[in-house]
Amino acid sequence: MTSIVSARGLTKRYGRTLAVDHIDLEIPPGRIVGLIGPNGAGKTSALKAILGLATYEGELSVLGKNPSRQRAALMEDVCFIADVAVLPRWIRVWQLIDVTERIHPRFSRARCLEYLGQTKVTLNHRVKQLSKGMVAQLHLALVMAIDVRLLVLDEPTLGLDILYRKQFYTSLLNDYFDEQRTILITTHQVEEVEHILTDLIFIKDGRIALEATMEAVEQRYTELMVKPDRAAEARELKPMFERELFGRHIFLYDNVGRDQLAGLGELHTPSVADLFVATMKRGES
Amino acid sequence: MRRLLALVHREFWENKGAFRTTPLVIGGIYIVFLLMSIFTTAHFDNELYTFREAVRLLAEQPVEFRAAHAEEVMLGTSLFFTLVLAFVVFFYLLGALYDDRKDRSILFWKSLPASDALTIASKLLSAMVLAPLIFWLVFVLTQIVMGIIASVMVLSVGENPWTLFLSIVNPLRAWFTLLVSYLAASIWFLPIYGWLLLVSAFAPRIPLLFAVLPPVVFAILQIWIDFLRTFTLDSSLFGVIGEWVANSPAILTAQVHDGRGTLALGAPLTDDFDHAVTLANIFDRLFSMQMLVGLAVAAVFLTGALWLRRRATDS
Repeated sequence: MTSIVSARGLTKRYGRTLAVDHIDLEIPPGRIVGLIGPNGAGKTSALKAILGLATYEGELSVLGKNPSRQRAALMEDVCFIADVAVLPRWIRVWQLIDVTERIHPRFSRARCLEYLGQTKVTLNHRVKQLSKGMVAQLHLALVMAIDVRLLVLDEPTLGLDILYRKQFYTSLLNDYFDEQRTILITTHQVEEVEHILTDLIFIKDGRIALEATMEAVEQRYTELMVKPDRAAEARELKPMFERELFGRHIFLYDNVGRDQLAGLGELHTPSVADLFVATMKRGES
Repeated sequence: MRRLLALVHREFWENKGAFRTTPLVIGGIYIVFLLMSIFTTAHFDNELYTFREAVRLLAEQPVEFRAAHAEEVMLGTSLFFTLVLAFVVFFYLLGALYDDRKDRSILFWKSLPASDALTIASKLLSAMVLAPLIFWLVFVLTQIVMGIIASVMVLSVGENPWTLFLSIVNPLRAWFTLLVSYLAASIWFLPIYGWLLLVSAFAPRIPLLFAVLPPVVFAILQIWIDFLRTFTLDSSLFGVIGEWVANSPAILTAQVHDGRGTLALGAPLTDDFDHAVTLANIFDRLFSMQMLVGLAVAAVFLTGALWLRRRATDS
Protein backbone atom coordinates (compact mmCIF):
# COMPACT_ATOMS: atom_id res chain seq x y z
CA MET A 1 0.00 0.00 0.00
CA THR A 2 1.17 3.53 -0.64
CA SER A 3 2.33 5.87 2.05
CA ILE A 4 -0.02 8.24 3.82
CA VAL A 5 2.70 10.81 4.24
CA SER A 6 5.79 10.88 2.09
CA ALA A 7 8.45 13.56 2.41
CA ARG A 8 11.76 14.04 0.61
CA GLY A 9 14.10 16.74 1.82
CA LEU A 10 11.30 18.53 3.64
CA THR A 11 12.70 21.85 4.88
CA LYS A 12 11.21 24.81 6.66
CA ARG A 13 13.17 28.00 7.17
CA TYR A 14 12.40 30.94 9.38
CA GLY A 15 14.85 33.52 8.15
CA ARG A 16 18.21 31.83 8.57
CA THR A 17 17.09 29.22 11.07
CA LEU A 18 16.21 25.80 9.76
CA ALA A 19 13.23 24.63 11.79
CA VAL A 20 12.97 21.48 9.67
CA ASP A 21 16.18 20.37 8.04
CA HIS A 22 15.85 18.10 5.00
CA ILE A 23 13.67 15.44 6.53
CA ASP A 24 12.82 12.22 4.69
CA LEU A 25 9.73 10.53 6.00
CA GLU A 26 7.40 7.68 5.08
CA ILE A 27 4.30 6.96 7.10
CA PRO A 28 2.39 3.87 5.97
CA PRO A 29 -1.34 3.43 6.61
CA GLY A 30 -2.71 1.86 9.75
CA ARG A 31 -0.08 3.20 12.11
CA ILE A 32 -0.11 5.35 15.20
CA VAL A 33 3.01 7.41 14.95
CA GLY A 34 4.46 9.43 17.80
CA LEU A 35 6.45 12.45 16.65
CA ILE A 36 8.48 13.34 19.68
CA GLY A 37 11.03 16.05 20.22
CA PRO A 38 12.01 18.80 22.61
CA ASN A 39 10.55 22.29 22.35
CA GLY A 40 11.64 24.03 19.18
CA ALA A 41 12.79 20.81 17.52
CA GLY A 42 10.57 21.42 14.51
CA LYS A 43 7.64 19.13 15.28
CA THR A 44 4.97 21.75 14.83
CA SER A 45 6.66 23.16 11.72
CA ALA A 46 6.71 19.70 10.17
CA LEU A 47 3.05 19.11 11.07
CA LYS A 48 2.03 22.50 9.69
CA ALA A 49 3.70 21.64 6.41
CA ILE A 50 1.90 18.28 6.32
CA LEU A 51 -1.44 19.99 6.98
CA GLY A 52 -0.93 22.67 4.35
CA LEU A 53 -0.80 25.40 6.95
CA ALA A 54 2.66 26.63 6.08
CA THR A 55 4.99 26.94 3.16
CA TYR A 56 7.98 24.59 2.91
CA GLU A 57 10.76 23.47 0.63
CA GLY A 58 11.30 19.96 -0.63
CA GLU A 59 8.86 17.32 -1.76
CA LEU A 60 5.86 16.47 0.32
CA SER A 61 2.89 14.37 -0.52
CA VAL A 62 0.03 13.60 1.84
CA LEU A 63 -2.46 11.04 0.56
CA GLY A 64 -1.07 11.76 -2.87
CA LYS A 65 -1.86 15.45 -2.64
CA ASN A 66 0.29 18.54 -2.36
CA PRO A 67 -0.73 20.06 0.97
CA SER A 68 0.29 23.62 0.25
CA ARG A 69 -1.71 23.79 -2.96
CA GLN A 70 -4.59 21.42 -2.19
CA ARG A 71 -5.33 22.05 1.47
CA ALA A 72 -9.09 22.21 1.07
CA ALA A 73 -9.28 18.95 -0.90
CA LEU A 74 -6.83 17.30 1.48
CA MET A 75 -8.95 18.19 4.49
CA GLU A 76 -11.66 15.86 3.24
CA ASP A 77 -9.40 12.97 4.20
CA VAL A 78 -7.30 14.54 6.91
CA CYS A 79 -8.35 16.01 10.20
CA PHE A 80 -6.35 17.62 12.93
CA ILE A 81 -6.54 18.87 16.47
CA ALA A 82 -3.89 21.48 17.04
CA ASP A 83 -4.04 21.87 20.80
CA VAL A 84 -7.20 22.12 22.84
CA ALA A 85 -7.83 25.83 22.65
CA VAL A 86 -8.65 26.35 19.00
CA LEU A 87 -12.41 25.94 18.84
CA PRO A 88 -13.96 29.39 18.33
CA ARG A 89 -15.04 30.63 21.73
CA TRP A 90 -18.18 32.42 20.60
CA ILE A 91 -19.80 29.45 18.89
CA ARG A 92 -22.53 27.23 20.33
CA VAL A 93 -22.11 23.48 20.20
CA TRP A 94 -25.08 22.98 17.86
CA GLN A 95 -23.72 25.65 15.51
CA LEU A 96 -20.34 23.98 15.47
CA ILE A 97 -21.93 20.64 14.58
CA ASP A 98 -24.12 22.31 11.99
CA VAL A 99 -21.32 24.11 10.19
CA THR A 100 -19.04 21.05 10.28
CA GLU A 101 -21.82 18.88 8.87
CA ARG A 102 -22.48 21.30 6.03
CA ILE A 103 -18.82 21.70 5.10
CA HIS A 104 -17.44 18.23 5.72
CA PRO A 105 -18.76 15.48 3.43
CA ARG A 106 -17.55 12.72 5.78
CA PHE A 107 -19.02 14.02 9.01
CA SER A 108 -21.66 11.95 10.78
CA ARG A 109 -23.91 13.96 13.05
CA ALA A 110 -25.29 10.82 14.65
CA ARG A 111 -21.86 9.59 15.66
CA CYS A 112 -20.87 13.00 16.97
CA LEU A 113 -24.01 13.22 19.10
CA GLU A 114 -23.38 9.71 20.38
CA TYR A 115 -19.89 10.65 21.59
CA LEU A 116 -21.16 13.91 23.05
CA GLY A 117 -23.85 11.97 24.88
CA GLN A 118 -21.11 10.40 26.96
CA THR A 119 -19.97 13.84 28.15
CA LYS A 120 -21.54 16.74 30.00
CA VAL A 121 -21.40 18.97 26.93
CA THR A 122 -24.88 20.08 25.80
CA LEU A 123 -25.86 21.42 22.39
CA ASN A 124 -26.71 24.84 23.71
CA HIS A 125 -23.40 25.42 25.47
CA ARG A 126 -21.09 28.06 24.11
CA VAL A 127 -17.50 26.92 23.78
CA LYS A 128 -16.38 29.67 26.14
CA GLN A 129 -18.66 28.29 28.87
CA LEU A 130 -16.96 24.90 28.74
CA SER A 131 -13.96 23.86 30.79
CA LYS A 132 -10.76 23.04 28.96
CA GLY A 133 -11.40 19.33 29.40
CA MET A 134 -14.91 19.62 27.98
CA VAL A 135 -13.63 21.56 24.97
CA ALA A 136 -11.18 18.75 24.31
CA GLN A 137 -14.02 16.22 24.57
CA LEU A 138 -16.10 18.28 22.17
CA HIS A 139 -13.28 18.59 19.67
CA LEU A 140 -12.55 14.88 19.91
CA ALA A 141 -16.25 14.06 19.40
CA LEU A 142 -16.28 16.23 16.27
CA VAL A 143 -13.12 14.69 14.90
CA MET A 144 -14.08 11.11 15.68
CA ALA A 145 -17.33 11.64 13.79
CA ILE A 146 -15.35 12.46 10.66
CA ASP A 147 -14.31 9.49 8.62
CA VAL A 148 -10.78 10.46 7.54
CA ARG A 149 -7.67 8.49 6.69
CA LEU A 150 -5.16 10.61 8.57
CA LEU A 151 -5.68 12.24 11.94
CA VAL A 152 -3.03 14.61 13.21
CA LEU A 153 -2.93 15.50 16.89
CA ASP A 154 -0.56 18.25 17.95
CA GLU A 155 -0.33 18.32 21.74
CA PRO A 156 -4.00 17.32 21.94
CA THR A 157 -4.09 17.02 25.72
CA LEU A 158 -1.99 20.01 26.72
CA GLY A 159 -3.27 21.50 29.95
CA LEU A 160 -5.81 18.77 30.63
CA ASP A 161 -5.95 16.89 33.90
CA ILE A 162 -5.04 13.25 34.04
CA LEU A 163 -8.63 11.94 33.92
CA TYR A 164 -9.37 13.73 30.67
CA ARG A 165 -6.02 12.73 29.20
CA LYS A 166 -6.54 9.03 29.89
CA GLN A 167 -10.08 9.14 28.57
CA PHE A 168 -8.97 11.01 25.46
CA TYR A 169 -6.57 8.30 24.40
CA THR A 170 -8.88 5.47 25.46
CA SER A 171 -11.70 6.77 23.24
CA LEU A 172 -9.31 7.37 20.41
CA LEU A 173 -8.01 3.84 20.53
CA ASN A 174 -11.25 1.99 21.23
CA ASP A 175 -13.72 3.93 19.14
CA TYR A 176 -11.68 5.34 16.35
CA PHE A 177 -8.49 3.63 15.33
CA ASP A 178 -8.47 0.83 12.76
CA GLU A 179 -6.17 -0.52 10.03
CA GLN A 180 -7.47 2.00 7.51
CA ARG A 181 -6.54 4.96 9.61
CA THR A 182 -3.30 6.58 10.52
CA ILE A 183 -2.80 8.78 13.53
CA LEU A 184 0.12 11.13 13.94
CA ILE A 185 0.63 12.46 17.46
CA THR A 186 3.04 14.95 18.94
CA THR A 187 3.15 15.31 22.67
CA HIS A 188 5.39 15.99 25.60
CA GLN A 189 3.54 13.50 27.74
CA VAL A 190 5.33 10.53 26.25
CA GLU A 191 4.38 8.11 29.03
CA GLU A 192 0.72 8.46 28.13
CA VAL A 193 1.02 7.59 24.49
CA GLU A 194 3.78 5.02 24.49
CA HIS A 195 1.40 2.10 24.93
CA ILE A 196 -0.71 3.07 21.94
CA LEU A 197 2.06 3.94 19.50
CA THR A 198 3.08 1.58 16.74
CA ASP A 199 5.86 3.81 15.43
CA LEU A 200 8.26 6.27 16.92
CA ILE A 201 9.94 9.26 15.36
CA PHE A 202 12.34 11.37 17.40
CA ILE A 203 13.14 14.75 16.01
CA LYS A 204 16.06 16.88 17.16
CA ASP A 205 17.20 20.23 15.78
CA GLY A 206 15.02 19.81 12.71
CA ARG A 207 16.38 16.38 11.87
CA ILE A 208 15.13 12.89 12.50
CA ALA A 209 17.11 11.32 15.33
CA LEU A 210 15.25 8.02 15.35
CA GLU A 211 12.59 6.43 13.17
CA ALA A 212 11.50 2.93 14.06
CA THR A 213 8.53 0.73 14.80
CA MET A 214 7.91 -0.10 18.44
CA GLU A 215 8.88 -3.74 17.82
CA ALA A 216 12.17 -2.64 16.36
CA VAL A 217 12.74 -0.36 19.32
CA GLU A 218 12.17 -3.27 21.69
CA GLN A 219 14.64 -5.42 19.83
CA ARG A 220 17.26 -2.79 19.36
CA TYR A 221 17.41 -1.07 22.72
CA THR A 222 18.06 -2.64 26.08
CA GLU A 223 18.18 -1.14 29.50
CA LEU A 224 20.54 -2.67 32.02
CA MET A 225 20.47 -2.02 35.73
CA VAL A 226 23.68 -2.92 37.57
CA LYS A 227 25.19 -2.52 41.00
CA PRO A 228 28.06 -0.01 41.26
CA ASP A 229 30.76 -2.71 41.42
CA ARG A 230 29.99 -3.89 37.91
CA ALA A 231 29.47 -0.44 36.40
CA ALA A 232 32.91 -0.33 34.83
CA GLU A 233 32.29 -3.62 33.05
CA ALA A 234 28.98 -2.35 31.75
CA ARG A 235 30.63 0.85 30.54
CA GLU A 236 33.02 -1.26 28.47
CA LEU A 237 30.12 -2.31 26.26
CA LYS A 238 29.62 1.31 25.09
CA PRO A 239 26.20 2.27 26.39
CA MET A 240 24.56 5.23 24.68
CA PHE A 241 23.47 6.65 28.00
CA GLU A 242 24.10 6.21 31.66
CA ARG A 243 22.28 7.44 34.72
CA GLU A 244 22.11 6.66 38.39
CA LEU A 245 19.04 5.83 40.41
CA PHE A 246 18.98 4.79 44.09
CA GLY A 247 22.60 3.74 43.95
CA ARG A 248 22.11 1.61 40.86
CA HIS A 249 23.63 2.41 37.51
CA ILE A 250 21.28 2.25 34.61
CA PHE A 251 22.72 1.87 31.12
CA LEU A 252 20.99 2.07 27.82
CA TYR A 253 22.39 0.07 24.93
CA ASP A 254 21.78 0.42 21.25
CA ASN A 255 22.19 -2.84 19.36
CA VAL A 256 24.00 -4.79 22.01
CA GLY A 257 22.86 -8.38 22.35
CA ARG A 258 20.86 -9.26 25.43
CA ASP A 259 22.91 -12.40 26.00
CA GLN A 260 25.99 -10.20 26.29
CA LEU A 261 24.36 -8.06 28.95
CA ALA A 262 22.40 -10.66 30.86
CA GLY A 263 25.19 -11.60 33.25
CA LEU A 264 25.75 -8.04 34.46
CA GLY A 265 22.38 -7.26 36.02
CA GLU A 266 18.69 -6.83 35.35
CA LEU A 267 17.50 -6.28 31.78
CA HIS A 268 14.51 -4.19 30.77
CA THR A 269 12.98 -2.74 27.67
CA PRO A 270 13.55 1.00 28.03
CA SER A 271 10.56 3.30 28.28
CA VAL A 272 10.06 5.72 25.41
CA ALA A 273 10.77 8.59 27.79
CA ASP A 274 14.16 7.15 28.80
CA LEU A 275 15.01 6.34 25.23
CA PHE A 276 14.06 9.87 24.27
CA VAL A 277 16.30 11.44 26.90
CA ALA A 278 19.16 9.16 25.89
CA THR A 279 18.74 9.97 22.21
CA MET A 280 18.57 13.69 22.83
CA LYS A 281 21.61 13.69 25.11
CA ARG A 282 23.68 11.51 22.81
CA GLY A 283 26.35 13.46 21.02
CA GLU A 284 26.05 16.35 23.39
CA SER A 285 28.34 15.04 26.10
CA MET B 1 -22.32 26.64 -3.00
CA ARG B 2 -23.54 24.62 -0.02
CA ARG B 3 -20.24 25.25 1.72
CA LEU B 4 -20.31 28.95 0.88
CA LEU B 5 -23.77 29.28 2.39
CA ALA B 6 -22.64 27.36 5.48
CA LEU B 7 -19.75 29.78 5.88
CA VAL B 8 -22.03 32.80 5.44
CA HIS B 9 -24.32 31.32 8.06
CA ARG B 10 -21.32 31.03 10.34
CA GLU B 11 -20.58 34.73 9.80
CA PHE B 12 -24.14 35.54 10.79
CA TRP B 13 -23.86 33.50 13.98
CA GLU B 14 -20.62 35.15 14.93
CA ASN B 15 -21.87 38.67 14.15
CA LYS B 16 -25.48 38.45 15.25
CA GLY B 17 -25.05 41.49 17.46
CA ALA B 18 -23.75 43.69 14.68
CA PHE B 19 -25.86 42.29 11.84
CA ARG B 20 -29.21 41.79 13.55
CA THR B 21 -29.40 43.44 16.96
CA THR B 22 -27.96 46.75 15.74
CA PRO B 23 -30.61 47.45 13.06
CA LEU B 24 -33.34 46.28 15.44
CA VAL B 25 -32.12 48.81 18.01
CA ILE B 26 -32.15 51.57 15.37
CA GLY B 27 -35.67 50.62 14.33
CA GLY B 28 -36.66 50.61 17.99
CA ILE B 29 -35.17 54.06 18.49
CA TYR B 30 -37.18 55.43 15.56
CA ILE B 31 -40.40 53.98 16.92
CA VAL B 32 -39.75 55.10 20.48
CA PHE B 33 -38.94 58.62 19.27
CA LEU B 34 -42.10 58.69 17.20
CA LEU B 35 -44.19 57.61 20.19
CA MET B 36 -42.42 60.13 22.44
CA SER B 37 -43.11 62.95 20.02
CA ILE B 38 -46.76 61.92 19.84
CA PHE B 39 -47.05 61.98 23.62
CA THR B 40 -45.26 65.32 23.77
CA THR B 41 -47.61 66.77 21.18
CA ALA B 42 -50.64 65.32 22.94
CA HIS B 43 -49.42 66.76 26.21
CA PHE B 44 -48.97 70.36 25.08
CA ASP B 45 -51.28 70.54 22.10
CA ASN B 46 -54.80 71.25 23.39
CA GLU B 47 -56.95 68.37 22.11
CA LEU B 48 -54.45 67.99 19.25
CA TYR B 49 -55.71 71.20 17.67
CA THR B 50 -52.42 72.11 15.95
CA PHE B 51 -51.91 68.57 14.80
CA ARG B 52 -55.41 68.48 13.37
CA GLU B 53 -54.74 71.75 11.50
CA ALA B 54 -51.44 70.42 10.17
CA VAL B 55 -53.07 67.26 8.86
CA ARG B 56 -55.87 69.32 7.29
CA LEU B 57 -53.34 71.60 5.56
CA LEU B 58 -51.44 68.57 4.31
CA ALA B 59 -54.64 67.07 2.95
CA GLU B 60 -55.21 70.23 0.91
CA GLN B 61 -51.88 69.91 -0.87
CA PRO B 62 -51.83 68.44 -4.38
CA VAL B 63 -51.33 64.69 -4.69
CA GLU B 64 -47.92 65.04 -6.43
CA PHE B 65 -46.60 67.19 -3.59
CA ARG B 66 -47.74 64.72 -0.95
CA ALA B 67 -46.43 61.74 -2.89
CA ALA B 68 -42.99 63.28 -3.41
CA HIS B 69 -42.65 64.30 0.22
CA ALA B 70 -43.93 61.02 1.57
CA GLU B 71 -41.29 59.18 -0.42
CA GLU B 72 -38.60 61.54 0.80
CA VAL B 73 -39.65 61.06 4.39
CA MET B 74 -39.56 57.31 3.89
CA LEU B 75 -36.12 57.29 2.33
CA GLY B 76 -34.91 59.92 4.79
CA THR B 77 -35.57 57.53 7.64
CA SER B 78 -32.98 55.25 6.06
CA LEU B 79 -30.05 57.66 6.58
CA PHE B 80 -29.42 56.53 10.14
CA PHE B 81 -29.63 52.87 9.07
CA THR B 82 -27.21 53.50 6.20
CA LEU B 83 -24.67 55.30 8.36
CA VAL B 84 -24.65 52.62 11.04
CA LEU B 85 -24.55 49.90 8.37
CA ALA B 86 -21.39 51.50 7.01
CA PHE B 87 -19.82 51.39 10.48
CA VAL B 88 -20.88 47.80 11.03
CA VAL B 89 -19.47 46.66 7.68
CA PHE B 90 -16.23 48.60 8.24
CA PHE B 91 -15.47 46.98 11.56
CA TYR B 92 -16.75 43.60 10.47
CA LEU B 93 -14.33 43.49 7.54
CA LEU B 94 -11.49 44.78 9.67
CA GLY B 95 -11.91 41.82 12.01
CA ALA B 96 -12.96 39.27 9.39
CA LEU B 97 -9.54 37.72 8.76
CA TYR B 98 -7.98 38.91 12.01
CA ASP B 99 -10.13 37.68 14.90
CA ASP B 100 -9.66 33.98 14.19
CA ARG B 101 -5.92 34.45 13.92
CA LYS B 102 -5.94 36.22 17.25
CA ASP B 103 -7.98 33.60 19.13
CA ARG B 104 -6.27 30.78 17.15
CA SER B 105 -9.59 29.33 15.97
CA ILE B 106 -8.15 29.68 12.46
CA LEU B 107 -6.58 26.29 13.19
CA PHE B 108 -10.04 24.82 13.53
CA TRP B 109 -11.46 26.55 10.45
CA LYS B 110 -8.50 25.46 8.39
CA SER B 111 -9.09 21.86 9.46
CA LEU B 112 -12.33 21.92 7.47
CA PRO B 113 -12.33 21.26 3.74
CA ALA B 114 -13.19 24.83 2.74
CA SER B 115 -10.67 26.71 0.65
CA ASP B 116 -9.28 30.08 1.66
CA ALA B 117 -10.86 31.65 -1.41
CA LEU B 118 -14.25 30.35 -0.27
CA THR B 119 -13.64 31.75 3.21
CA ILE B 120 -12.85 35.20 1.82
CA ALA B 121 -15.84 34.98 -0.50
CA SER B 122 -18.07 34.23 2.49
CA LYS B 123 -16.75 37.28 4.36
CA LEU B 124 -17.27 39.51 1.32
CA LEU B 125 -20.74 38.14 0.73
CA SER B 126 -21.66 38.78 4.36
CA ALA B 127 -20.46 42.38 4.10
CA MET B 128 -21.90 43.07 0.66
CA VAL B 129 -25.23 41.25 0.77
CA LEU B 130 -26.09 39.72 4.15
CA ALA B 131 -25.61 42.80 6.37
CA PRO B 132 -27.28 45.26 3.93
CA LEU B 133 -30.17 42.84 3.43
CA ILE B 134 -30.85 42.51 7.16
CA PHE B 135 -30.58 46.28 7.70
CA TRP B 136 -32.95 46.78 4.78
CA LEU B 137 -35.47 44.25 6.10
CA VAL B 138 -35.50 45.85 9.53
CA PHE B 139 -35.83 49.26 7.87
CA VAL B 140 -38.90 48.08 5.97
CA LEU B 141 -40.33 46.60 9.14
CA THR B 142 -39.75 49.87 10.99
CA GLN B 143 -41.52 51.80 8.24
CA ILE B 144 -44.53 49.52 8.37
CA VAL B 145 -44.85 49.99 12.14
CA MET B 146 -44.36 53.76 11.79
CA GLY B 147 -46.93 53.84 8.99
CA ILE B 148 -49.45 52.08 11.22
CA ILE B 149 -48.81 54.50 14.09
CA ALA B 150 -49.12 57.51 11.76
CA SER B 151 -52.37 56.14 10.31
CA VAL B 152 -53.85 55.69 13.77
CA MET B 153 -52.89 59.28 14.64
CA VAL B 154 -54.44 60.65 11.47
CA LEU B 155 -57.58 58.59 12.09
CA SER B 156 -57.78 59.92 15.63
CA VAL B 157 -58.13 63.49 14.35
CA GLY B 158 -60.83 62.47 11.90
CA GLU B 159 -58.88 62.43 8.64
CA ASN B 160 -58.61 59.44 6.32
CA PRO B 161 -55.04 58.10 6.20
CA TRP B 162 -55.86 56.21 3.02
CA THR B 163 -56.60 59.28 0.93
CA LEU B 164 -54.06 61.39 2.81
CA PHE B 165 -50.97 59.31 2.08
CA LEU B 166 -51.45 55.55 2.08
CA SER B 167 -53.04 55.38 -1.36
CA ILE B 168 -50.72 57.86 -3.08
CA VAL B 169 -47.30 56.84 -1.95
CA ASN B 170 -45.79 53.67 -3.28
CA PRO B 171 -43.67 52.28 -0.45
CA LEU B 172 -42.49 49.41 -2.61
CA ARG B 173 -40.76 51.85 -4.93
CA ALA B 174 -38.93 53.62 -2.11
CA TRP B 175 -37.96 50.34 -0.51
CA PHE B 176 -36.77 48.89 -3.77
CA THR B 177 -34.72 52.00 -4.53
CA LEU B 178 -33.06 51.73 -1.15
CA LEU B 179 -32.29 48.03 -1.61
CA VAL B 180 -30.77 48.66 -5.03
CA SER B 181 -28.72 51.52 -3.64
CA TYR B 182 -27.42 49.32 -0.81
CA LEU B 183 -26.32 46.59 -3.18
CA ALA B 184 -24.88 49.09 -5.66
CA ALA B 185 -22.94 50.78 -2.85
CA SER B 186 -21.55 47.36 -1.88
CA ILE B 187 -20.05 47.06 -5.33
CA TRP B 188 -18.97 50.69 -5.38
CA PHE B 189 -17.08 50.33 -2.12
CA LEU B 190 -15.34 47.08 -3.15
CA PRO B 191 -11.90 48.75 -3.33
CA ILE B 192 -12.31 49.87 0.28
CA TYR B 193 -13.69 46.49 1.36
CA GLY B 194 -10.72 44.86 -0.37
CA TRP B 195 -8.33 47.12 1.49
CA LEU B 196 -9.97 46.29 4.82
CA LEU B 197 -9.76 42.55 4.15
CA LEU B 198 -6.13 42.90 3.13
CA VAL B 199 -5.33 44.72 6.36
CA SER B 200 -7.39 42.21 8.32
CA ALA B 201 -5.35 39.36 6.83
CA PHE B 202 -2.07 41.18 7.40
CA ALA B 203 -2.22 43.11 10.69
CA PRO B 204 -0.23 41.48 13.48
CA ARG B 205 -2.34 43.51 15.92
CA ILE B 206 -4.72 46.53 16.02
CA PRO B 207 -6.02 46.25 12.45
CA LEU B 208 -7.70 49.66 12.73
CA LEU B 209 -4.28 51.28 13.00
CA PHE B 210 -2.98 49.41 9.98
CA ALA B 211 -6.08 50.29 8.00
CA VAL B 212 -5.99 54.00 8.71
CA LEU B 213 -2.35 54.89 9.22
CA PRO B 214 -0.84 54.00 5.80
CA PRO B 215 -3.38 56.01 3.77
CA VAL B 216 -3.10 58.94 6.19
CA VAL B 217 0.70 58.99 6.06
CA PHE B 218 0.61 58.56 2.31
CA ALA B 219 -1.87 61.40 1.86
CA ILE B 220 0.03 63.75 4.17
CA LEU B 221 3.28 63.10 2.31
CA GLN B 222 1.45 63.64 -0.96
CA ILE B 223 0.00 66.92 0.21
CA TRP B 224 3.35 68.06 1.60
CA ILE B 225 5.31 67.22 -1.55
CA ASP B 226 2.62 68.85 -3.67
CA PHE B 227 2.77 71.92 -1.49
CA LEU B 228 6.58 72.13 -1.83
CA ARG B 229 6.42 71.71 -5.58
CA THR B 230 3.49 73.82 -6.60
CA PHE B 231 2.50 75.68 -3.47
CA THR B 232 -1.02 74.30 -3.82
CA LEU B 233 -3.11 71.91 -1.80
CA ASP B 234 -4.81 70.09 -4.61
CA SER B 235 -5.39 66.42 -5.05
CA SER B 236 -4.27 63.78 -2.61
CA LEU B 237 -5.41 60.33 -1.53
CA PHE B 238 -7.78 62.09 0.88
CA GLY B 239 -9.34 63.83 -2.09
CA VAL B 240 -9.65 60.56 -3.99
CA ILE B 241 -11.28 58.75 -1.07
CA GLY B 242 -13.49 61.73 -0.25
CA GLU B 243 -14.66 61.96 -3.83
CA TRP B 244 -15.23 58.21 -3.88
CA VAL B 245 -17.56 58.43 -0.89
CA ALA B 246 -19.20 61.56 -2.29
CA ASN B 247 -19.98 59.77 -5.53
CA SER B 248 -21.29 56.59 -3.95
CA PRO B 249 -24.63 55.28 -5.18
CA ALA B 250 -25.99 55.13 -1.61
CA ILE B 251 -28.56 57.62 -0.39
CA LEU B 252 -26.36 59.53 2.02
CA THR B 253 -27.41 63.17 2.35
CA ALA B 254 -30.48 65.30 2.73
CA GLN B 255 -30.13 68.82 1.39
CA VAL B 256 -32.17 71.82 0.36
CA HIS B 257 -32.55 72.08 -3.36
CA ASP B 258 -34.84 74.54 -5.20
CA GLY B 259 -36.34 75.62 -1.93
CA ARG B 260 -37.31 72.16 -0.78
CA GLY B 261 -35.56 69.36 1.03
CA THR B 262 -34.40 66.49 -1.14
CA LEU B 263 -32.23 63.45 -0.74
CA ALA B 264 -29.05 62.83 -2.69
CA LEU B 265 -26.90 59.92 -3.68
CA GLY B 266 -23.56 60.36 -1.92
CA ALA B 267 -22.68 63.95 -1.11
CA PRO B 268 -22.79 66.32 -4.08
CA LEU B 269 -19.29 67.84 -3.87
CA THR B 270 -18.49 67.43 -7.55
CA ASP B 271 -20.66 67.36 -10.62
CA ASP B 272 -19.16 64.18 -12.10
CA PHE B 273 -22.48 62.54 -11.53
CA ASP B 274 -26.08 63.54 -11.16
CA HIS B 275 -26.88 63.07 -7.49
CA ALA B 276 -30.65 62.79 -7.69
CA VAL B 277 -32.01 59.59 -6.18
CA THR B 278 -33.02 57.57 -9.23
CA LEU B 279 -32.30 54.03 -10.33
CA ALA B 280 -30.74 55.37 -13.52
CA ASN B 281 -28.22 57.39 -11.52
CA ILE B 282 -27.41 54.41 -9.32
CA PHE B 283 -26.65 52.26 -12.35
CA ASP B 284 -24.79 55.11 -13.99
CA ARG B 285 -22.14 54.83 -11.32
CA LEU B 286 -21.80 51.08 -11.66
CA PHE B 287 -21.09 51.36 -15.36
CA SER B 288 -18.61 54.20 -15.10
CA MET B 289 -14.90 54.34 -15.80
CA GLN B 290 -14.31 55.06 -12.10
CA MET B 291 -16.02 51.83 -11.13
CA LEU B 292 -13.80 49.88 -13.52
CA VAL B 293 -10.67 51.36 -11.96
CA GLY B 294 -12.11 50.66 -8.52
CA LEU B 295 -12.73 47.02 -9.39
CA ALA B 296 -9.16 46.64 -10.60
CA VAL B 297 -7.88 48.09 -7.32
CA ALA B 298 -10.22 45.79 -5.39
CA ALA B 299 -8.93 42.78 -7.31
CA VAL B 300 -5.34 43.63 -6.33
CA PHE B 301 -6.25 44.01 -2.64
CA LEU B 302 -8.33 40.84 -2.58
CA THR B 303 -5.58 38.83 -4.28
CA GLY B 304 -3.22 40.09 -1.58
CA ALA B 305 -5.67 39.13 1.14
CA LEU B 306 -6.00 35.63 -0.33
CA TRP B 307 -2.22 35.25 -0.60
CA LEU B 308 -1.84 36.18 3.07
CA ARG B 309 -4.75 34.02 4.20
CA ARG B 310 -3.25 30.97 2.52
CA ARG B 311 -0.15 31.37 4.64
CA ALA B 312 -1.87 32.41 7.82
CA THR B 313 -1.77 30.24 10.91
CA ASP B 314 -1.94 31.07 14.58
CA SER B 315 1.59 32.39 14.87
